[in-house]
Amino acid sequence: MTHEGVWVYAIADHAGGDVFLPAGVAGTLVRAMTAGGLTALASNVDLAEFGEAALRRNLENLAWLEEVARAHHDVVHAAAGLFPVLPARFATVYHGDASMAAAFAERGDQLRAALARVGGRMEWGVKVYALPIERGAEQVATRSAEPGAGMAYLKRRQSEISAKRQSSRTAVASAREVHVGLSGHAASTRLYPPQAPALSGTKDPMLLNAAYLLDAGGAARFASVVADAAAAHPDLRLDLTGPWPPYSFAGQEA
Amino acid sequence: MTHPIRRRLDAGDDPQAAERGLASLVLTIVELLRELMERQALRRVEEGTVTDEQAERLGCTLMRLDERMNELVEEFGLEREDLNLDLGPLGTLLPKE
Amino acid sequence: MAAVLVRRAGSLTGAACGRVPAELPRDFPAERVALVDLLDRVLAEGVVVTGEITLSIADVDLVTVSLRALLASVSTLNRQEGR
Repeated sequence: MTHEGVWVYAIADHAGGDVFLPAGVAGTLVRAMTAGGLTALASNVDLAEFGEAALRRNLENLAWLEEVARAHHDVVHAAAGLFPVLPARFATVYHGDASMAAAFAERGDQLRAALARVGGRMEWGVKVYALPIERGAEQVATRSAEPGAGMAYLKRRQSEISAKRQSSRTAVASAREVHVGLSGHAASTRLYPPQAPALSGTKDPMLLNAAYLLDAGGAARFASVVADAAAAHPDLRLDLTGPWPPYSFAGQEA
Repeated sequence: MTHPIRRRLDAGDDPQAAERGLASLVLTIVELLRELMERQALRRVEEGTVTDEQAERLGCTLMRLDERMNELVEEFGLEREDLNLDLGPLGTLLPKE
Repeated sequence: MAAVLVRRAGSLTGAACGRVPAELPRDFPAERVALVDLLDRVLAEGVVVTGEITLSIADVDLVTVSLRALLASVSTLNRQEGR
């Protein structure tokens, strides 16, 4: 007999009734459970795979993590397209419906407030990269044997370093300017650490990795604001992703 | 904060890839040292704690080292930028200045 | 550029609350998000694990990093931003 837990995807502002959603984690059925005016989207999961000890093990396995994170996201994203949702923290697993209901009852007011804050809103991600500067494109004809070549080399390196430092400062300032500008168009923002090149898949350094919470219907305008920002900063590359369910804003205090 | 960082050397079906992986690791260390030496030399020249003659000699040595790095990197089918050791979320070892 | 949420209209038959029709495609929604961007968001609220993972993204084996370091750097940044 397997021990079952309950994996929660999101809290929804939904009175009940038919819900059409993709399969959940580990191919499980997603169901909607209403309690205390809140609806939880959840799946029954095997604690042998999703219990605390098992999660600690499995979350270290990137293949497992990818599959489960994508399944989780597919459900949350589909739900967000149907009604306002408050994404649950990833890997929230209760030991049963009763313990889930009890937890929700205890935090009912907070959950309702959070749902009111982010429900119906989607987030958009913007990543800003510095465009590359050519290193010493001047392959000067300074041959090693020429007198004064050493000094010339040092001077050249010095000016290259200052130029890079300067352009790096400029790029960082530009990225900050972009963030401030975009924040003005969002209900809320959240910054993530810039992704290292190994993660981002590009050698261009990432200067900004931000999430912006937008009102429903604000997407098109935001996209054009981003395009304008990109045009205004030719030293930067802007990458827009979305819409995302409001993951980045579910945990914040009002 | 300590954390294990290892570059995966994929021997696999391509021994040349393994050699290139190893070479890039070694050359990264060399490049780091070269860059540190260069910065220190530049600092001392700026501070005026070296004579013109010493500066000239330093510059020549560094220039030759730089040229040699280009040659080595080319020999292994790499690019200078490949030598930027990536520590993941903690950023690159050689600062982008 | 930006993904547009496409709601698949279709002849989905009514079902009991929460039942999933078999017809709904596994890769809904249509556009596949980048794993790093997804992990930025879902791991952000402090799932604490230790250990090493190997990141294989776009079929390229990269450096082995510690997931703890990754999560620690996230929480450090959040602290700096006063969150």
